[in-house]
Amino acid sequence: MNAEQKRAWLGVATMGACVLGYFVLLPLFGPVVATAAFAFYGINGFAGVIGRHEEVDERDRSIARRATLAGAVASYLAFVIGCMGTWFVVFAFQHKEQVWVHALGTITILGAVVFFFIRSVVILLLYGRHVEASDG
Amino acid sequence: MARITNSIRRLRFDHGEMTQEELARRAGCTRQTVIALEAGKYTPSLALAFRIARSFDCQVEDVFTFSVNSGKE
Repeated sequence: MNAEQKRAWLGVATMGACVLGYFVLLPLFGPVVATAAFAFYGINGFAGVIGRHEEVDERDRSIARRATLAGAVASYLAFVIGCMGTWFVVFAFQHKEQVWVHALGTITILGAVVFFFIRSVVILLLYGRHVEASDG
Repeated sequence: MARITNSIRRLRFDHGEMTQEELARRAGCTRQTVIALEAGKYTPSLALAFRIARSFDCQVEDVFTFSVNSGKE
């Protein structure tokens, strides 16, 4: 297992901790406070110190590039669906035409979390599958 | 559908049982990439293909084989 895979596993593990924490806090404190469990995702910041000096080659770069693209696409989708979904919920159930502006921060964080999580998952998948060189 | 196969494993043994680590060092890639190449899980760039061939002192065609399937099989 190389450094990129270790970083990806850390990303998946921290997301698992976030989801677990959310469902533990949900019945105790309600949905708003339970979102605090996503602070666990900050642990993912330590990914930067894993394998800093480890050698990477064209296959690693190719996989990282594809995973980053997949993460960006998923993040964009999550952000747009988050924005439109929030508006739909507010409009359909509360009969208001304006969305609470503070929801934008949460939706932006959702987009960022989706980016890192999907990137991690795609990295783990691609290391086990056939890949073609995308550079050189 | 185009398919690229290779005979890296055979060539390694033909060259004094060269280790994957040694081939990786000579070709300028990681051992994990050599493992993926031998398992047919990675199609290398042209540059890496040439470096691998050079590591075995042979032509690219001796290491890699390009075949096209008609898709009717």
